[in-house]
Amino acid sequence: MNTNNNIYTVIYTALIVVVVAALLAFVSQSLKAKQEANEKAETISQMLTAARICTKDSLDLLSNAQKLDLYAREIEKAFVIDTVGNIVDTLSIAREKLDVYSPKELKRQNYNIKGGANATGAPAIPVFVFKNGRTVVPIYGAGLWGPIWGYISFEADNVTIGGAYFDHESETAGLGAKIKDDPSFQARFIGESADFSAKNVFDIVKGGAPKEADGTSVKDNKIDAISGATMTSQGLDAAIDTWLAAYAKYFQANAPKKHHCGNCKHHHNETEPETQTEE
Amino acid sequence: MKLKETLLNPIFKGNPITVLVLGICSSLAVTVTLKGALVMALSVIVVCGISSFILSLLRNTIPGRVRIIVQLVVVAMMVILVDQILKSFEATYAIDKQLSVYIGLIITNCIVMGRIEAFALGNKPWPSFLDGIANGAGYGLILLIVAFFRELFGSGTLFGVTILDPKWYTPNNLVILPPFALILLGCIVWVQRSIQKDLQEDK
Repeated sequence: MNTNNNIYTVIYTALIVVVVAALLAFVSQSLKAKQEANEKAETISQMLTAARICTKDSLDLLSNAQKLDLYAREIEKAFVIDTVGNIVDTLSIAREKLDVYSPKELKRQNYNIKGGANATGAPAIPVFVFKNGRTVVPIYGAGLWGPIWGYISFEADNVTIGGAYFDHESETAGLGAKIKDDPSFQARFIGESADFSAKNVFDIVKGGAPKEADGTSVKDNKIDAISGATMTSQGLDAAIDTWLAAYAKYFQANAPKKHHCGNCKHHHNETEPETQTEE
Repeated sequence: MKLKETLLNPIFKGNPITVLVLGICSSLAVTVTLKGALVMALSVIVVCGISSFILSLLRNTIPGRVRIIVQLVVVAMMVILVDQILKSFEATYAIDKQLSVYIGLIITNCIVMGRIEAFALGNKPWPSFLDGIANGAGYGLILLIVAFFRELFGSGTLFGVTILDPKWYTPNNLVILPPFALILLGCIVWVQRSIQKDLQEDK
C-alpha cells in the first residue's frame, strides 16, 4: 500500500482526528459528574479558607464528604443578591443539597456585572454568611494567562476583611501563581478594609502600600502587590474592584450588621427550614 | 534478552534525563514534593508506554509526511485522558490541581515524542510499549531522587510527613527554588558518569 498517496494521507488524518475526538468526548461526558463533585468540594474548601474556619492545608487532608459536612455545619445562610443589594434568591444550605457557585457560574456572572455582548441577564451574585460571623463573597476576573477567581470574607461589621483565598487556571508557577500558593500574600488582606464608597474599592499597589512605623501595612484598603507578578496583581485588583463594587450596596446597607433588613428576614422565613436561626 | 535490555537500559545506562538530556524542564518544575514527582512520573510512564504502543500498532499505516502530526494527536489524546482521570478521583484531584499546567505539558516532554520517533515507529508494539514504560520509569527515577532531596531539605518532610523537626531545622528556601533542582541534576550526572566511565568524553 502506498501510504504517501495524497488521498490516503487526507483520509487517514481525518479519520484519526474523528476517532480521537469521539473518544475524548465520550470520556469527558462519562467523568463529568465525578469531576464536578470534586470541583464543588474544592470551591467549598476555598470558601472555608476565606472565612478562616480552617487553613487550606488542613482542608486538603479531608475527603469531599468531610468538606461538605464541615461547610454544612459552619454555614449560617446563603443567598443571591442583585447589584442594588436586594435578595433575589436563596441558596440551599441543607447537607444533601449544598448550592454553591462554580467558577463557571462566576464567569457567567462576571459577564453580567460588566454588561456588554456576553451578558446573559442581570447580575445575580451570591453571599455566604458563616456562623463565625464572617460573610464570604466571590470575585472573578482575568489574570495574565487565564481566569483567576477567589473568595474574600468580611467581618461582622461588613467592612473589615477577615480573610481571602484565590485560585487561578494557568498563572506562572512561582510568580502569578502565588495568589494561590503563597499564604502570606492572602494573609495581607486580613484586617484591611474595603472602601465601598470609592471607585477603587480595594487596591493592590505596585511599589508599596502605606506602612506603619513597624513595617506592617496600614489597615486601609491598600496592600502590596506580588513582586514579579505585576500583570496577575493588576488582574486581581481589577477583579476585586469589579466584584466588590457590585456588592457595595449590600454591604453598605448592612453595616453595622445589628439591624438586619426586613426584606431578607421575610425572604428567609419563607424558604428556609427550621435550621435557620434569626439574629 | 533483547527485551530485558529494552527495559533496563533507559533506567540507568541510557537514562532519558541524565544521558539523553530530555525532559529537563519538567524535572525542575515538579520536584518540590515527592508526591507531585510520583504522580508526574506515573503519568509520564502511562502516556509514554501507551502512546508508544498505539503508534507502533499504526506504524505501517501512518503516512510518512504527516507522521509527526499523527504522533501529536495520539500523545495529546493520552495526556488529556490522564488529566481527565486524575481530575475524577478525590485522591488525585488536589495533585492534579497542583500539577495542572505540567500535566498538560507532558505533551511537550521530549521523552514521549523522542521515543516514538526513535523506537516505536521502527519496532513491534510489545517492545515499543516496554521501551515507553522503561523511559518513563528512568525519568521518574531521577524525578524521585531530586524530589527526595528537595522535599527533605526544603520543607523538612517526606511525602508530607515531618522528618526534620522544625524546632531545630530551618527549611532551606534555596532548595525549594527550581535552580537548586538543576544543581542536583548536575550532581546526579556527575555520580553517574564516575560510575559509568564510557559516558565520559575524551579530553
